[in-house]
Amino acid sequence: MEEIRIGVYICHCGLNIAGTVNVEDVAKYTATLPNVVVSRHYRYMCSDPGQDLIRSDIKHLALNRVVVASCSPRMHELTFRKTVESGGLNPYLYEHANIREQCSWVHDDRKLATNKAKDLVRAAVMRVHHHEPLVIREVPLNPNVLVIGGGIAGMQASLDIANGQKKVYLVEREPSIGGRMAQLDRTFPTLDCAECILTPKMSDVGHHPFIELLAYSEVEEVSGSIGDFKVKVRKKARYVDVDKCVGCGDCEEKCPRRTGSEYEMGLAERGMAYIPFPQAIPNVATIDRREERPCKAACKEACPIHMNVLGYASLIKEGRFEEAYEVIRRTNPLPAVCGRVCYAPCQEACNRGQFDEHIAIRELKRFAADQELKMGKGKAVPVERTKEEQVAIVGSGPAGLACAYDLVRQGYPVTVFESGPEAGGLLRWGIPEYRLPKKMLSNDISYIQDLGVEIKTNTPVKNLSEIFDQGYKAVFLGTGAGMSQRMGIPGENAPGVFHALDFLKQVNFGVEVDLGSKVAVIGGGNAAVDAARVARRLGVEDVTVVYRRGRDEMPAIPSEIEEMEHEGVKIEFLAAPVKVLSDNKGVTGIQCIRMEMGEPDASGRRRPVPVKGSEFTIEVDHVIMAIGQSVDKAVLPEGLAYTDWGTLSVDPVTLQTNIDGVFAGGDVVSGPADVIGAIATGKRAACSINAYLRGEELSIEEGGKVEKLSEEELARIKQRFASRKRVRAGKLEPEKRIDSFEEVEQTYSPDEAQEEAERCLASMVEGCFECGECKQVCEAKAIDFEQTDQIVELEVGSIIVATGYDQFDSSVIPQYGYKRYANVLTGLEFERLTCAAGPTEGKILLKDGRPPESVAIVHCVGSRDQNYHEYCSRVCCMYGLKYAHLIKELANAEVYEFYIDMRCFGEGYEEFYKRVSEEGVNFIRGKVAKITDEAVIDEEKGKLIVVSEDTLLGKMIRVPVDMVILCSALEARSDAENVARLFNLNRRADGFFLERHVKLDPVATPTDGIFIAGCCEAPRDIPDTVAQAEAAAAKVLSLISKGTVTLEAAISTVDEAICHGCGRCEEVCTFSAPKVISKDGNLVSSINEALCKGCGACAVVCPTGAITIRHFTPDEILAQVAALTEA
Amino acid sequence: MAGFEPQIIAFCCNWCTYAAADLAGTSRVQYPANVRIVRVMCSGMVNPIYVLKAFEGGADGVLIAGCHLTDCHYIDGPVKCDAAVDKLRKMLHVLGLEDERLRREMISTSEGVVFARVIKEMVEQLKKSGPSPLKVKMEALA
Repeated sequence: MEEIRIGVYICHCGLNIAGTVNVEDVAKYTATLPNVVVSRHYRYMCSDPGQDLIRSDIKHLALNRVVVASCSPRMHELTFRKTVESGGLNPYLYEHANIREQCSWVHDDRKLATNKAKDLVRAAVMRVHHHEPLVIREVPLNPNVLVIGGGIAGMQASLDIANGQKKVYLVEREPSIGGRMAQLDRTFPTLDCAECILTPKMSDVGHHPFIELLAYSEVEEVSGSIGDFKVKVRKKARYVDVDKCVGCGDCEEKCPRRTGSEYEMGLAERGMAYIPFPQAIPNVATIDRREERPCKAACKEACPIHMNVLGYASLIKEGRFEEAYEVIRRTNPLPAVCGRVCYAPCQEACNRGQFDEHIAIRELKRFAADQELKMGKGKAVPVERTKEEQVAIVGSGPAGLACAYDLVRQGYPVTVFESGPEAGGLLRWGIPEYRLPKKMLSNDISYIQDLGVEIKTNTPVKNLSEIFDQGYKAVFLGTGAGMSQRMGIPGENAPGVFHALDFLKQVNFGVEVDLGSKVAVIGGGNAAVDAARVARRLGVEDVTVVYRRGRDEMPAIPSEIEEMEHEGVKIEFLAAPVKVLSDNKGVTGIQCIRMEMGEPDASGRRRPVPVKGSEFTIEVDHVIMAIGQSVDKAVLPEGLAYTDWGTLSVDPVTLQTNIDGVFAGGDVVSGPADVIGAIATGKRAACSINAYLRGEELSIEEGGKVEKLSEEELARIKQRFASRKRVRAGKLEPEKRIDSFEEVEQTYSPDEAQEEAERCLASMVEGCFECGECKQVCEAKAIDFEQTDQIVELEVGSIIVATGYDQFDSSVIPQYGYKRYANVLTGLEFERLTCAAGPTEGKILLKDGRPPESVAIVHCVGSRDQNYHEYCSRVCCMYGLKYAHLIKELANAEVYEFYIDMRCFGEGYEEFYKRVSEEGVNFIRGKVAKITDEAVIDEEKGKLIVVSEDTLLGKMIRVPVDMVILCSALEARSDAENVARLFNLNRRADGFFLERHVKLDPVATPTDGIFIAGCCEAPRDIPDTVAQAEAAAAKVLSLISKGTVTLEAAISTVDEAICHGCGRCEEVCTFSAPKVISKDGNLVSSINEALCKGCGACAVVCPTGAITIRHFTPDEILAQVAALTEA
Repeated sequence: MAGFEPQIIAFCCNWCTYAAADLAGTSRVQYPANVRIVRVMCSGMVNPIYVLKAFEGGADGVLIAGCHLTDCHYIDGPVKCDAAVDKLRKMLHVLGLEDERLRREMISTSEGVVFARVIKEMVEQLKKSGPSPLKVKMEALA
């Protein structure tokens, strides 16, 4: 074996070491150690002459080991490895002793420090005996780069690298790049507009062929090492197809929910679908959906026209009644009508019903409609006619009106032909006043007329060719089913027998009807209930409803039946009339027979069957037949085809009749049905007519399934929300009802409506609750609620972290009153005020809209303060001066700057300070003690009083002002810890990321291949941030330019002669570097050198000692330990 | 036992505690000169043999210090270190060495002050405990 010849060099480091350690003594001592050929001490070993000394000794004294005792190896180990390498030795035949950071700087006793230095050098000498030459490996570096953070730092770094034609992946967590700088108004000291200098860069980033922007994305996982990082990025679902979105902003405008805009620092609102700011890149909408809504919005699916119930309920909850009405209006042509007479399948479906009680959806809709009318705003703006083709609507019932409403809003000229004297159809003449006041109906209809629909009353249409001859291109028939059906029993035609619809029509048109004192109403539908209740109101004492099935089978709205009974109407269930009894004066009674429920028929409905011999008689003066209606073919034009049931025959999809261009919907097609069903077919026909006229394929979006909650979902809701009963709307006392036709159901008061709307489960989540309003208004069809997060896997060779800063939360300093006093603002909030595109359009205004007469600017809020952050935030003095200048310029108010020291160190900064000083700004040197609204003297009343020490005057002062701006500290991001873990970064005690060397390596980190730039490293201004970003880009480009990386040589190695192949190493390794393989019939461990990081865990668990870590072998460390304990 | 100066060997991980000790130095935070640091790449690299060697050589106390659980350069080195320390404690017990002679700490890069404090505490504690019984026995044998 070669003789070991060691050279030892003790560095003075000026007086840094030599001041405490007797270096001469140490060198003398070291010379006595085994195999030490030369031992020297020198002033600066790291200097060129110092290094030359080593190289010369290697050459002339044939050294084959070198020890330098100086500063930390983290500082200069690499330097001296290179020195010995250039001297002709393997760089690993070198050992470094740390006698500065860990000796001379931490001990002041010269003797103790010298002894310790001797120990450390001795240990190094004993260790270096065992050092072996190691091979340094080079592997190729992936030239792709990952940049984290799309603020000015990340953008600048990305552009620099991409301009060098290297691929950059830029990951930004927010929906748009731009970062903090995009929020700034003007930049100091030049006062140029931040946006004007930033947006061209944003645009460059967005369009650069070498930059792949991953906005609204976050890094999930980073593995690998320099040259070969594997990164998983989560592309968060925007619920918007970015390829289709055109950035028009319609979705945001129509979104019924609002939240504080992050970009505007909460001073303005944004929708749940939103584009953060007009210049956003990418300029696409994002839907802020944070959690699944707890219910399944079955209300919406159950509604035949899929009304956005959750949307308007949520707006009512927030007191935004006008907007609630608008949301209702967007789908429903007759809000006030539906708010009263709709049978509300939504309420039946409402999943809150499974929990306690369903939401009173109909009442909420009615409230919104009535509130609008009450406020006198329910007037429509005429729609511009954009289409040529005229459409004729025959019949002005709900189907016809709905069809007209949707067509006119699409720009068609629409005329409604009504045979009667007034529009409304069955709504007007079939529904009694106490359920639907005529005034309400007229209001809904006049709204439709205001939009531009012409209604021609007293104009029956008998001939379709005449209509087409007049130039109409399409016709919709919505003439209803107005003919009363007959029972076909004896005596049915006797005087005193009315048919319900004729009866209701007469009453509705003010014809006097005498019903005597006893009336039987035959039937169980809404017409029967209406007729019975009207009869009571006409003064009939004794009203009996005769229905052939039981209560549960009654088709009328249950609440109506209930109210009818409250009004004193009797019901004879399971009874059917067989004969109307009459004498020459009129009806005397009605003979009925008892029924019982038989077996279910083909439709599954049980049919009533008569009980033999159970006939009985009810004595009455009049009978009202309400057993159903049918289509009156006599009122319809000729040439139409009918079904076997006597209704119009139409194509089930297009609703077109047998005549080209003629469509039909409502009761004339379905037979007698409900209002909302008629509206739904009217709306569907409008779609169909549009497709027909445009020659397009008809596409109608069908609703989803009405889903119930599962047991688990219900259990979760019960756990999360308290049970609360429905708010009951007031009702007219039953005694008062029978004297008048006054409306029975009362409308909610605003408070009641809000209280009830709060019960909607969907609106209890934060963020989007998927009401679908955006989807409805998006013309590009870009909204996609099915979207899910995507995981993108990237391979890059180097990474730049530029994640920026958070603004210090000033409310943690209670004495400054932030969030307690409306006119105490933070710097970023004030930036938004002076910005021309901001919430006040660039005007500096107090919360009440007045301009301030005086403003205080408080420096060092949370900075330079032992209680919060000890560091200086570096930008506050300058932006404080900028604010002072802007306040002078824009509001001409008195300005007071409360400062500790003015730090104006950059280019043009001091000059700007001088300029602002000359503008009449009051500078007060002193830290503000508190901000209060408690006035002591009259001048302070209504003001905010800034209480501070004036250290130049040496006394306490009180300054009353209108507005206070807090220069809040810049602090490390709240999730900096997670980011540090992800990228293997270190943090300083203040939370910012640690650079490799504070002076000499400011953008590198202890992890090779990962760099930092901008405010994530420490607070700094824009010029410094940009410079750092460019520095990081240069670092990365130099790596790419070299093209290879040097891998760690100090990794695991296996002595196969003693390895048993037990596999303990394989189990313990986090990086899967060791694998047990079969070699020449023996099991041995084999190390994948590309994966090994050199952590040494395998060597600790190896039972035979077969695995060692190069450069950290047991021989080396044991020699070092033995030498240290020897003294 | 007046004037007894305990001897401490500290195994410090390159990424956190060794850097913390450097930071104590750059910040000129003073602590007793009784400690000698051995740099290891990871606290999980510390083989119990190294610690036994230190005690055999006459150390009165040993410190094993590295990253916090979440900061590890090698992801889970501290966990592996803890497992080794558990075993080590049993061995030390057999050898008649008190528990306080082995200290396990997690000290991050920014905690120079913590490093200095830990050394001060150890020195005070070991001064009370007196010289390592192993050292006393070995000296008696010699």
